Amino acid sequence: MGFLDALLGGRGKLKAPAPDRLFAMSTAYVTIETGLGLKHKPVAGIVFQPLATADFKQILSDTEELLRGSAADTGTKVESADDQYGYRWIILRDDEFEDLVVSVNVISTQLEAGGYGDRILCAVFAFEDEGRPVYFIYNYKRGAFYPFVPAPGEKQRNNEREFQLKAAIGGELPFEQEIERWFPLWEIPL
Amino acid sequence: MARSRTTFTRDSGLQARMLFTLFLLGLLYAAFVAILFAAGAGVGIMVLVIAALSLAQLFLSDKLALAAMGAKEVSPEQAPGLHAMLERLCIQADLPKPKIAVADTPMPNAFAMGRSQKSAVVCATTGIMNALQPHELEAVMAHELTHVKNRDVMIMTLASFFATIAAMITQFGFFFGGWGGDSDDGAPAFIVVLLASFLVYIISFFLMLALSRYREYAADRGSALITGRPSALASALVRISGEMQRVPDQDLRAAGKMNAFFIVPTSVKESVATLFMDHPPLEKRLAALQKLEAQLQAPAPAAA
Repeated sequence: MGFLDALLGGRGKLKAPAPDRLFAMSTAYVTIETGLGLKHKPVAGIVFQPLATADFKQILSDTEELLRGSAADTGTKVESADDQYGYRWIILRDDEFEDLVVSVNVISTQLEAGGYGDRILCAVFAFEDEGRPVYFIYNYKRGAFYPFVPAPGEKQRNNEREFQLKAAIGGELPFEQEIERWFPLWEIPL
Repeated sequence: MARSRTTFTRDSGLQARMLFTLFLLGLLYAAFVAILFAAGAGVGIMVLVIAALSLAQLFLSDKLALAAMGAKEVSPEQAPGLHAMLERLCIQADLPKPKIAVADTPMPNAFAMGRSQKSAVVCATTGIMNALQPHELEAVMAHELTHVKNRDVMIMTLASFFATIAAMITQFGFFFGGWGGDSDDGAPAFIVVLLASFLVYIISFFLMLALSRYREYAADRGSALITGRPSALASALVRISGEMQRVPDQDLRAAGKMNAFFIVPTSVKESVATLFMDHPPLEKRLAALQKLEAQLQAPAPAAA
């Protein structure tokens, strides 16, 4: 946002999603698994603000319909849940990692086509690191991934492991370069 | 390509009024500077001194404000809910995360401080955190984040720069008596400067208040934009303004100097003319938010 925008009190819109780089994950996960010894979990999620409007609800139910339709081929299971912060999670379960990426993309594409792309917070892919959870979060507004590794204890994160992951996989995934934007997401229901 | 539909239309009326106010301020200040320099030497040094003071204010204001409120920065461990809420709002607003502070006072209020997006501090009182529902608090925090995003502290400080000079000349003008250069034309120049300063002070006072009100409307819009829930902010404003009148006087007085960046001014008096208010009246803010909610609820325009 430029200075002129600030001077005039901002534009009438949020930043639109950056060009979609989500699909980088559908190849990078192989490196994450083989190179880093992580194992992907058969689950992924996309988080957004559910607007209380008829239009938005319609788009959402159409999207779920679409996903259930394609589930016959892919076997992807779809659930949704609201978290304590008022955000909606659509949780996808599938043993095929590529299908998870595709299904997440279906949801974001549908929301964007309806004009609600700016409501999407992020997509989350879950991995396991010797039994401990590791997440890769895709920020739609930035078009970039960053790692989130919760540590034992109340709201602790393992920054060391996160930096290691960036060093190891940063060349292959479009990475968020500003670490102050590596926002945590607590209580990820994946 | 997805069509880029905006949830809310741009309020070009508000932007036009803001631009006009800024234009008037600029015009006023340009004339003022011309008069100051026509009046002679000595003034230049004073302008420099005040520039330094303003700069200091810009860099220290956040610390001063926090100290004045007794607010303390809180870590994610101390206020996990507040941090998590702001983190999500920051992703939505595409902002770096500000510092988060909490002031331990029953008065329900929140404010944003800091000269830039990177050095911003957002503060909530324990009063507002107790008084509001989570989604209402979220709307208030989004309002404060919009102040950060719109760089309101910077803009109001810049806008008030010459108003500060004018005020100082008006107040201390008599002590600067001999500045006018020659003793022959010194006296009339001094009177011209004093009169001009007084006028600039009065006019800029009202323009600044108008500008501040427009920034509030813009922050309300920004909150609606970030959360997608204009009515959540409306209900928060109603709830806060109701609580405000029940709070003991000493808290109101203690916080008096911080009004400019509070979400609701501490003295909500119906009798005070809008012209004198740095926040728009509650009814007008509610009406603006209701308009946004109506835009949100309206069926989407046919696909373009």
